Amino acid sequence: MMIFLLGMKNMKKLTAVFMLLGLATPVFAGTPSFTIEIKNHLFYPDVLTVPANKKVKLIIINRDESSEEFESYELNREKIITGGRKGIVFIGPLAPGEYPYFGEFHPKTALGKIIAQ
Amino acid sequence: MLLSSVVIVLREVLEAMLLMSLFMALSVHLQISRRWVFGAVLLGVLGAYTYFIWFDAVSDWFDGLGQEVFNALCQFGIYLCLLVFNILLLGTVKRAVPKKLFIIVILVATTLAMSREGAEIFLYISSFTSMADKLTAVLTGSLFGASIGFSVGVLIYYGVLNLPHWLTLKVCFGVLSLVAAGMVSQAVRLLIQIDWLPASEPVWNTSDWISETSVTGQLLYALISYESTPSLLEVQSHLAAIGLIIICTILYYWRVQSIGDQHEG
Repeated sequence: MMIFLLGMKNMKKLTAVFMLLGLATPVFAGTPSFTIEIKNHLFYPDVLTVPANKKVKLIIINRDESSEEFESYELNREKIITGGRKGIVFIGPLAPGEYPYFGEFHPKTALGKIIAQ
Repeated sequence: MLLSSVVIVLREVLEAMLLMSLFMALSVHLQISRRWVFGAVLLGVLGAYTYFIWFDAVSDWFDGLGQEVFNALCQFGIYLCLLVFNILLLGTVKRAVPKKLFIIVILVATTLAMSREGAEIFLYISSFTSMADKLTAVLTGSLFGASIGFSVGVLIYYGVLNLPHWLTLKVCFGVLSLVAAGMVSQAVRLLIQIDWLPASEPVWNTSDWISETSVTGQLLYALISYESTPSLLEVQSHLAAIGLIIICTILYYWRVQSIGDQHEG
């Protein structure tokens, strides 16, 4: 009952105090990680759902022989991944919503979006 | 394919062209020989090609975060060059023009800008070398993009040359300060991308007013590194970068002026 009375805001403070005292360990152990693959200038998956309001790690693997640039105006990210290699990009924390991204070198076919929820 | 090549290459060359044309126009204004432009193009292309060849090796630095670190260093480097350049620029009001120093700063700034952007163009074109059916379109589009970028540069050059004499330094100082600060916020964005700097939700969203994909958005990107949804740290670093230029310039200007007064006294 007490917990409910304290309310969410106080709960966060309380958790922080406990954490400082070393009495609690954070449950959010690591940054959630997701993989996107590029094959034949297409993204797989082309729709990726990630948790909102949280930093997320994207591992982008380019299975093609040619380079591609992962780019998104909505996510403010751009990174070139040369053929047969992988790249890491951190995104977020994102407000719930849709964030399109594309492959700048093949902008007509290499299209995808990230859904934060 | 053709149209996307035009856009990609134009986007890459626009920033370097803006810098080049301002430096060229200022050279005329300050009576510095414009021959540095040949050296700058040569160094820029060499730098771009070297970065292109070593791109994978550089990308592997810091466990795969090298690309961002290297680009951010280039951008901080350009900022420092423009900071020094702007200080020297206003110093010319009271002092003789240190021509050699000007040319060194110009060469370093343009080489850094062209290396980073040129390497991307090389990577882009090289990824089509095995696709014979698309290569011609890509090369033609790239040539178009580069030509449009060059034309914009020529326009800026003559635009600045035609400014009234008293306005030239002020306009160039202002534009270079904005470009410089944009470099810092771009570098900060890259460091956020690799989680070296803390991320935050966007401070505002102006994408309904000016979309980053629109022509205005692209031009503003070249000028001030416009972003419709910047994070707090990007905004703060942008403002701090402009602030530092203004403070350094004022301090230097005062110093030069007081020395000048002493000599006169």
